[in-house]
Amino acid sequence: MSASEFFKKFDLTLVLATISLITLGVFAIFSATSSSEFSEQFYERHMIFGIAGVVMMLVISYLPPKHLEKVSSVLYVLSLLLLVSVLIFGKKISGQRSWFSFGGFGIQPAEFAKVATVMIVAFFLSKDSEGRNSKLGLKDTLVIAGLVLLPVALIALQPDTGTNLVFLSILIPVFLWAGMPAFFIVALIAPVIVAISAFLSDIVGNYLLYVVLAITAIGIFLFKEKQYLKIGVIVLCLIAGFGSDYVYDHLETYQQKRIMSVFDPTSDPRGSGYNVIQSKVAIGSGGLFGKGYMQGTQTQLNFIPAQWTDFIFCMVGEEFGFIGSVVLIILYLVIVIKLINNGYNARSRFLSLACIGFASVFLFHLFINIGMTVGILPVIGIPLPLLSYGVSSLLSFTIMLGIGMNAYRNRNIVF
Amino acid sequence: MSLEIRRNILIGVTLSIALVLILRLIQLQLLGQEEYGMESRRNSIKTVTIVPARGLMYDRNGVIVVDNKPAYLVSITPSQFDTLQKGEIASLLEIDQQVIDSLLKSAKGTHRFNPVLIKRDVDFKVISYIAENQDRLNGVDFQVEAIRLYPNDFRASHIFGYTKEISPKMLEEQVGDYYKQGDLVGKKGLEKTYEEYLRGEKGYELISVDVKGREMGAYNDGKDDIEPVNGSDLILSLDGELQSYAEKLMAGKRGAIIAVDPRNGEVLCMVSKPDFDLSLFAGSTSAAELNAIVNDPAKPLFNRVTLTTYPPGSTWKMMMGLAGLASGKITTKSTIFCGGSFSLGSYTWQDHGSYGSIPLPKALEVSSNVFFYKLGYNLGIDDFHKYCTMLGFGQKTGIDISEEGQGRLPSREYYNKIFGDGKWPGGVMVNLGIGQGELGVTPVQMVAYTAAIAMNGLYCQPHFVAKIINSNTGEVTIPEFYKRDIDFPDEYWEVVKKGMYLVVNGASGTARGIKNEDYILAGKTGTAQTQGNNHSWFVGFAPFDDPKIAICVLGENAGWGSQFGAPVAAAIMIRYLSNNSVDMFNQNESKITPVIQD
Repeated sequence: MSASEFFKKFDLTLVLATISLITLGVFAIFSATSSSEFSEQFYERHMIFGIAGVVMMLVISYLPPKHLEKVSSVLYVLSLLLLVSVLIFGKKISGQRSWFSFGGFGIQPAEFAKVATVMIVAFFLSKDSEGRNSKLGLKDTLVIAGLVLLPVALIALQPDTGTNLVFLSILIPVFLWAGMPAFFIVALIAPVIVAISAFLSDIVGNYLLYVVLAITAIGIFLFKEKQYLKIGVIVLCLIAGFGSDYVYDHLETYQQKRIMSVFDPTSDPRGSGYNVIQSKVAIGSGGLFGKGYMQGTQTQLNFIPAQWTDFIFCMVGEEFGFIGSVVLIILYLVIVIKLINNGYNARSRFLSLACIGFASVFLFHLFINIGMTVGILPVIGIPLPLLSYGVSSLLSFTIMLGIGMNAYRNRNIVF
Repeated sequence: MSLEIRRNILIGVTLSIALVLILRLIQLQLLGQEEYGMESRRNSIKTVTIVPARGLMYDRNGVIVVDNKPAYLVSITPSQFDTLQKGEIASLLEIDQQVIDSLLKSAKGTHRFNPVLIKRDVDFKVISYIAENQDRLNGVDFQVEAIRLYPNDFRASHIFGYTKEISPKMLEEQVGDYYKQGDLVGKKGLEKTYEEYLRGEKGYELISVDVKGREMGAYNDGKDDIEPVNGSDLILSLDGELQSYAEKLMAGKRGAIIAVDPRNGEVLCMVSKPDFDLSLFAGSTSAAELNAIVNDPAKPLFNRVTLTTYPPGSTWKMMMGLAGLASGKITTKSTIFCGGSFSLGSYTWQDHGSYGSIPLPKALEVSSNVFFYKLGYNLGIDDFHKYCTMLGFGQKTGIDISEEGQGRLPSREYYNKIFGDGKWPGGVMVNLGIGQGELGVTPVQMVAYTAAIAMNGLYCQPHFVAKIINSNTGEVTIPEFYKRDIDFPDEYWEVVKKGMYLVVNGASGTARGIKNEDYILAGKTGTAQTQGNNHSWFVGFAPFDDPKIAICVLGENAGWGSQFGAPVAAAIMIRYLSNNSVDMFNQNESKITPVIQD
């Protein structure tokens, strides 16, 4: 096999982007933990498991797609079992029971369940359909919703809302990809947007909710669909809008405060707003070029608790500045767009859907995590892919990328 | 919808999300860099508070009565502190590790580089140890602060009062944010009333900290440091020598003394016994020792001068005379027949003698009860309440030390509440006439009233502080205290004063035992009836024709007024008038022959 032939089958871009991010993660974790009181060598573990992850990714990329399809149901059942047993045998850490502890290592079954759930959904949708361009029926929609909601229910018992949102984020892109009509996609998204604007309108002013409702209603009526379906969706939006308004008004003050501090961290500077204020200071003070590696005062002086996990982006923003941050975002964009394109070109419907599922997982993690550290989204504890310290998430992301590479290898292309 | 469109939608969403994030980063890092950069620099500054020396207090002769001495405090900077050394520090400071934990914890939320006070008044040996091991004991610092020193042989505990570490409640309720955890704040006495002057203004030293938390020297070359401003000094009206003398006279007793200059209300001495050692509150006294003082059944913390309310007994009779004159019930010449007892309905009140028809001065001299039974009964509650209010009863005098009671001055409403509307017996006025019954007065009210009589109606707010001197600028502030004229004709005051003169100088005066050739004293004895031994009262002033001192003495369970109150009061007045040279008590004890009579 010539070199050019090799690279036609080997997704070098994906591998390089992955290795770059993991390497950056090792440096970022080293910097963020260098002055911490914890003596554990987080960066070393990140490096070792990063290498292991890349190896695993390469191995997976060479597996026959049929094998991957076959193991998906086994993996799914296995991860459900793990999710059940973590509720029983798991270690309780700050109110959540989501970890197994193995001799100093923590294993989070929910991270692996992300991979398995995307795989089972892709498997189910590819089972008896012909071609990649088929339509999605109601029965399939419900079964997929069920397959996703099962792990979601188990994770809700831990409870871990952030991770659950990741599972839900898979649904719409996969539905779209599987051929759900645009109207139903809109019908799924619209109530969510209305509900969010209802919360926001408590701060911005009530007009926001009305404006969003009006725009949504007009948008829905523009579709060529049966009238009763359109009205049904609008009613759903009304319930979502006024229902969440009602729920907010009936929350305890501390819960309202929690929600408020998402939008206005200064309203609770010592409580849930503290991390966001400090992380904004860290990122903002980085400026264009950053303060230099190991020179970020916010990072080195530990202003942000446990920064090497969910708030690792602060270190990048502070020490590498705007340029470093944009490079980082571009690396993620490469991965996400690569996954989408690999899905687009994949020969098998299973690999195609899996790539789209993984792309949405990456994108959602990226948006929520960075959005949180820059203070435009609520503090939802999910890691930044490949960068945040955490063995389970690191390995599960490399598995996803391995399947993404596999799709590249098995794509429709004229050689 | 073709697959390509769907792919383009997904890529479009991806790019928009990236765009949102990048726009936000432009906002934070490019547009907000200055603001956030400043914020992060502020995050890496250690602010060391420099506590100013508290203002001193001088007595009227310029002698320091409240001084400062240096003491060491130990603080911990949380971000630099190695928690593994907690045990070592705890045993070094002889405190529990939990104490350190809770202090550090309660300081959370404040700046991480700001030292948290752990213990004050630390032994010098411990400080030397910390200094020698500075390299190893990261984040453990010591500072010098001034703590109170009382250099004289008297206590004056209730006058000076003390400071205490600010309580969490006070911290929360303070206006502004001057006080921080661990700050000392005046809790009692002058320390409390004049807190704002005495405390000064804290200074701040700003130290840059590098990314490792190491101190890098002064921030901005110290240009932004704030120098502390020392507290202002108080010049008191207190006469230290007289205070010391008065405390000795009261040694081992329970009771109260307060003497003022009747011309302006300046307090010359004030004793409340039992008292306590203020220096225990200045240093690192153990909680157990302090609790022993707080829980002592003899109540040493209780200021008897401003808080006890007892019936004034016969010292009240001038008040009744003045009320009788002012209301027109008697004149300066009129007489009342005093036949040894007074009957109302089926009840009879006794007197200790039968004096015939006597005018007011004579009635005061012999302390006739019948005269004042009848006068009180005739006066009625409304006039009683009106004129007693004019002389400051039933209200706080406003003396400038904290915690003062208002006593109890019965009124029509008061009795209506107890007995029901109009149903109360006439006997209450008979009792009030001789200063017994429901009436309650404080010694400070009594001295202000006596001084007002001495000055023909000039009623002055009793106070300790004559001047406040800003120790930096030398600027002198003279605090303002009220003075008011009680507008009665002079003859009313003169006739009452004549009675007080006769009490000491008349042939049958109840306090004739304290008559003095060199200093003409005037006064009135009184006895408050209680279960057990009576409380002994004496109020007086001197010299008679040019009053320079007015006094009130209360001896709890010390017997008749003439047994305890009169001789103590006389000794203090003469001591003061003789410029602290004559000691009546030791020189000539025979001169103070108590007359066993009220």
